[in-house]
Amino acid sequence: MTSESLRFAGSRWTPSVAAASSRRVATALTQRIAVLIVVLIVVFATVDLLPGNGVRAVLGRDATDAQIAAREAALGLDRPLPVRFADWLGGLIRGDLGTSVRGTSVNDMLTDKFPNTLILGGAAILVTAIAAVCFGALWSFFPRSVAARALSSTTIAVIAIPEFVIAVGLVFVFALLLGWLPAVTTTGPSGAPANAAVLVLPVLALAIPQSGWNIRVTRAALDEAAGMPHVAAAELDGLTRREILARHILPIAAPTLAASLATTVGMVLGGALVVETIFNYPGLGTVLAGAVTDRDAPVVAAVVALTGVVITMMLVLADLLRAWAIRTRA
Amino acid sequence: MSISRRHFLAGSAGVSALAVLAACGSNNDSSSGAPQSGGTLRVGALGKTSAIEQDPHQTLNNNSDFLISSLVFDALTVPGENPNTAPRLASRWEQLGDPRQWRFVIAEGAAFHDGTPVSSADVVWSLRRLHEIAGETKVPVTSPGDIVTDGPSAVRITTPAPNRDLPMLLRLMTFTVKQGTTDFARPVGTGPFTLESFDNGNARLVRNPNWYATPPTLDAIEVTRFESTTAMANAVLSNQIDLASNVGAVAGRTAEGRDGYTVMRRSNDVVIPVVMRTSDGPFADVRVREAMRLIVDRDAMVKQAISGYGVVANDVLGTGDPTYDRSLPQRGRDLDKAKALLAEARFDLTKTYQLFTKDEAVGEVDSAKLFAGQARDAGIKIDVVTQDSNVFYDETWLSAPLYTANWGTNDSVVFFASKTMYSGTKWNETGFHDAAFDSAYRRALAARDDATYQNASHDLQRIEYERGGYLVWGMADGVDIASSRVHGLPTLGGFGRVQLERAWLTN
Repeated sequence: MTSESLRFAGSRWTPSVAAASSRRVATALTQRIAVLIVVLIVVFATVDLLPGNGVRAVLGRDATDAQIAAREAALGLDRPLPVRFADWLGGLIRGDLGTSVRGTSVNDMLTDKFPNTLILGGAAILVTAIAAVCFGALWSFFPRSVAARALSSTTIAVIAIPEFVIAVGLVFVFALLLGWLPAVTTTGPSGAPANAAVLVLPVLALAIPQSGWNIRVTRAALDEAAGMPHVAAAELDGLTRREILARHILPIAAPTLAASLATTVGMVLGGALVVETIFNYPGLGTVLAGAVTDRDAPVVAAVVALTGVVITMMLVLADLLRAWAIRTRA
Repeated sequence: MSISRRHFLAGSAGVSALAVLAACGSNNDSSSGAPQSGGTLRVGALGKTSAIEQDPHQTLNNNSDFLISSLVFDALTVPGENPNTAPRLASRWEQLGDPRQWRFVIAEGAAFHDGTPVSSADVVWSLRRLHEIAGETKVPVTSPGDIVTDGPSAVRITTPAPNRDLPMLLRLMTFTVKQGTTDFARPVGTGPFTLESFDNGNARLVRNPNWYATPPTLDAIEVTRFESTTAMANAVLSNQIDLASNVGAVAGRTAEGRDGYTVMRRSNDVVIPVVMRTSDGPFADVRVREAMRLIVDRDAMVKQAISGYGVVANDVLGTGDPTYDRSLPQRGRDLDKAKALLAEARFDLTKTYQLFTKDEAVGEVDSAKLFAGQARDAGIKIDVVTQDSNVFYDETWLSAPLYTANWGTNDSVVFFASKTMYSGTKWNETGFHDAAFDSAYRRALAARDDATYQNASHDLQRIEYERGGYLVWGMADGVDIASSRVHGLPTLGGFGRVQLERAWLTN
């Protein structure tokens, strides 16, 4: 932010404003965390209420009722649901994600997988953000161009296509037909993806559908910002197009774009569950799918908690950006 | 639930992409010849993250884990074609004077990967541990004391009643570990390969040059775990792996059109019968069960539910058994006779019957839906209810009047009799209590010669055919896709698919 635009905004950064802002941030953060806890309660209870016994699923067809009861007692699964949840939540605060119905540490299960999903999701968000800004700007600034017309239809199309269709199409063309990129993810000795090439198709499969929406949002936000009176004033002042964009349009449009991308984080993590299966990618998706099948409430809740924290952080960042932007405009 | 629906759609879409691709080439017959040595075989096998298990005595739900365990460890016996039981860690076995007792002799030169010879104490310890963890279904004895050493290189096992099939029942499950081992992070087995690394269900195994049987020719086997058959098929068709083990009929069909690939069909791999409850309920009348078996269009089931990768069957389980009775007349579709039988039995055609199924074996849900459609031709209204596997085993299995099952061991008639049909079994899927069947079962187990055994086996089959509760419309093949460089692959159905120690690669 430059001093010039601050002057335009007609307000200064003062201690009282700072205090008000941090209060606002604190309130937003508290609300987000409260929502996350409610979500976790719902998830925990839902998995628990699903028909089917997780311990039986693990012990197999041969297990007797006595064996199942013994294992349940050993894992503390015979305690009431609220007690188990409180216990699990207490562990979560200490960084202990609990024990699965197979008796393994959930931390161990997720240590390798969570970073892998973050790499995949983070790269997809980055690609989406770059695509949104570049194509959104192109569309907004040259609304009558061929590119704009192409974007108008393709963005709608890709929003409507689910990730797995894109994924399967990408595999078909780039792996099976052309042989340029690997069809499935290979991992190195550390359990992480072996090289950057294996990430290309899964990242694209996630980023393409999300880009459609974000390009449209960016374009709309830029159009709206460009239509504001101070932009016309700046034009009359003889500022160059680049200056107007950097100082007067992007700062106004940024909070909208940030909010849209923050929402996209959730969509990307959801889509990752499907995309990971198609590419045999070693991430959280397969853990979650297996845990739902096993009725493994601590594992499902742990995955939701981790992704929930990421989404919450992104939403709080977007809140912050908006708070800051509103302040400059106040 | 949206995830499973998406997964399902993902699977179908993957398959259609493959189908398009299949049009691009034609199949190429592989040349064989003398096995060449060296090379690394890259194998894909199914396995769920949540079910990864390295302890060979626990339930190995993942194909990938089972494959790794059976290459690192040796069981006493392994599947064969005829006879269906072949030696492995036990070089030979004999029934003793007391017909309840068997003596298994450990193969000469058998040693662990660290060089320690295998002792009878190791085998006893392993069998007892397996019995403790998995119970009588894996080691059919009453107590640990029934498994004892018999000198330094033999073990003696005593079953509650004479059991001719004990060597068969000990196939592949009885992995021998060193006495006292409970940690399998760095497993020391006796098998044809040693484990070099294991990560997240993926493993690299290297040749054990000192294996007491003929050592493998491959230098190494790399096992990659796949969550879905679609990803595994893509991996083999893009040359990221050399062998997709048990990848399914649909992938097999698409690969058949491609240059450079061999599609292996292993017969008698999986049976997906319709289970009818015989003890009570709407199917208790034998005429109704007979009608159901005349309603099914077996050819259509094989063609559509399992993509033609299989053969029709004849309501008898254990089609791969050397004693399987081919003289029983093959049942075909006869709607008139079926309708007459239903009328005679006063079967209520106004009601809608529920057929429970689950998405477990490839084609299982489809088979249920197809059958429901065929039953309409005879005026029976069947509503297919697809359940989550968990719910199915909690609420439906062993109790509902009509459901689908699936079994992967199909080379023994007596195996099915012992597990699912004689009146004393705890897995009596059809609620079957038949005195003549039980008597034939006991005769089979007590048989001391092949003729008596075969005779008893034929009796079991005839009873199943005439009044059993299974509608066995067909047998699905196991389908593997391999690069044409790969030779010496397993040909047996079921767990026989893990026998990769004789595989080799052309350079």
